[in-house]
Amino acid sequence: MKTPTLSEQVSRRRYEREKKARQEAEKLLDDKSRALWEANQKLTSQADALERTVTKRTAELNKAMQAAQASNQAKSIFLASMSHEIRTPLNGVLGMAEALSETDLSCEQAEMAATIVESGGILLSVLNDILDVSKIEAGQMEIENIPFDLSALFAATKQLYALKAAEKNLIFDIHLSPAAQTWITGDPVRLRQVAGNLISNAIKFTANGQVLVDVDLVQADQGLKLIVRVTDSGTGISKHKLDDLFQPFNQLDPSVNREYGGTGLGLAISRQICNLMNGDIRVESEFGTGSVFTATFSVAPAKTVETALPQTDQHSQEILASQKWRILVAEDNRTNQLVLSKQLKDFDLDLTFVGNGQLAVDSALEGEYDMILMDINMPHMGGVDATINIRHHETCLGRAAIPIIALTANSMTHQITGYLASGMNGHLSKPLKKAILLRTLADTLQPTTPKKAPETKGQRGL
Amino acid sequence: MKGVVFVELLAMAESLIGEEAVDDVLDSVELASGGAYSSVGNYPCSELMTLVDAFSRHTGHSPTFLQIAFGKWIFGTFAKGYTEFFEGKADAFSMLDSIEGEVHVEVRKLYPEVELPTFTTRRIDGQTFEMVYISERPLVDFCQGMIEACLEHFDEEATISKTETRTEDGFGAVFQIRSASQLAA
Repeated sequence: MKTPTLSEQVSRRRYEREKKARQEAEKLLDDKSRALWEANQKLTSQADALERTVTKRTAELNKAMQAAQASNQAKSIFLASMSHEIRTPLNGVLGMAEALSETDLSCEQAEMAATIVESGGILLSVLNDILDVSKIEAGQMEIENIPFDLSALFAATKQLYALKAAEKNLIFDIHLSPAAQTWITGDPVRLRQVAGNLISNAIKFTANGQVLVDVDLVQADQGLKLIVRVTDSGTGISKHKLDDLFQPFNQLDPSVNREYGGTGLGLAISRQICNLMNGDIRVESEFGTGSVFTATFSVAPAKTVETALPQTDQHSQEILASQKWRILVAEDNRTNQLVLSKQLKDFDLDLTFVGNGQLAVDSALEGEYDMILMDINMPHMGGVDATINIRHHETCLGRAAIPIIALTANSMTHQITGYLASGMNGHLSKPLKKAILLRTLADTLQPTTPKKAPETKGQRGL
Repeated sequence: MKGVVFVELLAMAESLIGEEAVDDVLDSVELASGGAYSSVGNYPCSELMTLVDAFSRHTGHSPTFLQIAFGKWIFGTFAKGYTEFFEGKADAFSMLDSIEGEVHVEVRKLYPEVELPTFTTRRIDGQTFEMVYISERPLVDFCQGMIEACLEHFDEEATISKTETRTEDGFGAVFQIRSASQLAA
């Protein structure tokens, strides 16, 4: 086929066809443009709707988050007040039972009183455990950093558990490596709690043989690492149960609770505390041959602080008996007043009770006192405001500051810091243990030289 | 069927027999579109068959011959206009292999409503390649033209055997393409 030549002229019919094709194409283009515009409008409105939905959802989420925070806050407040509400009556029960034990009782009565003291003590430790778990869950477990003497801490720990070990005929010893016989910066209360938990578990689950504690202090990447290793010759733990050991409310089996008691919270709390101090608890155990629990804590070095030895119980009693000390007690709760009187009944003291902060301020300014015991939660004026008032008047009048010790069932670290900031000199945690009360009063009334700061940290009263 | 097919058919016809003759052929048949095609429009496939028959009568060439020629023509247009589909294709078999998985995928993106034929392919041995074509439209010869053009494009020699199949749904054929040279793996 030869290639046809194209003529200059285009026929009418060809022109009409091309025109028709063009018009069709234009119409098609028009339709497509309209469809595109409509699709675009739809997309825009969809985007707007999405934007509105996102804004709405974000607002809803914010509201839900605020509600969650508020409810968490409410839980914390509830816990703090629960702590107070339970400790106050417990203070009464324990104080009175202790006082009762010291009266003339028949053998049967003495046994009953001892049971009340013991049961109250267990109740208190359960309460402390539950509060600790709640605090850890709420992220409110506070770790202190204060200098303290490791040797003294473990000497006291040894004294505390030696009797229990002796009752079971166990060999019990705490050995500190030379490096560990020093001062460090950390949280002595929590360290005592963890070490105590491991030691009391070891004693509890060891029928015969020994419980040995090794304490060592080694250099770590950052600061120092404190290692507390508790080795026992007890029943041991089989491999498959090791994993569950640190779960809250988990004991090896239900019979453990019946036989040995406890909440099953101790190890879970101890591990969490170690974690908060960048440490951990590890366990090696073989069923039948005993266990080794190793707790580690990150601590910082501390300068050895010049301090007097704490008063001995004997010495405390001598100081309290040496003169008729004038002590102002601001405490609104009648039971607590009674407990305090009973605990101090062996000494000839001049105790003045007032029922609120305003009366405490008035009495402090009018009378002559050697020290003040100040409750925190009181009607009309609380202990903190009363202390601020008293310190203010003392400054204006140029009078020496009278020692003020807080008496409280609140034991959160930040609260105690607040009490000290208001001008208080120390803190006694309720329920009051008689021995600690006497020692703190003696330390405050007649400090040995060099001056020792009064107790600034709550005793757990275990 | 997309208008571009009609526009290309008329372009091929004009190159062969001239505008006047094409216009005469268009006037000689009944077409709903009046023979006015734009490449963006859509027209019934029956018009394509009517046109092929009319050109066959006018030129004396068989409809089969014309479909094969048109398949080659369209492949040329395709190769010029869409070079990106040829990138990375070493031989005709690779190209044919990619029609279903690559070319048709792109076509569907632009024209979701389009009805496309299906191509299933397989390599039988080092030299033989099989392509099964199934379509609603009677365009087996057109398909053959495209396969031939594809072989020419890659400068390959091969023999094509065609077995036509008719199904209830439409038309189809099995093409066995046996290369004269060894296939690349």
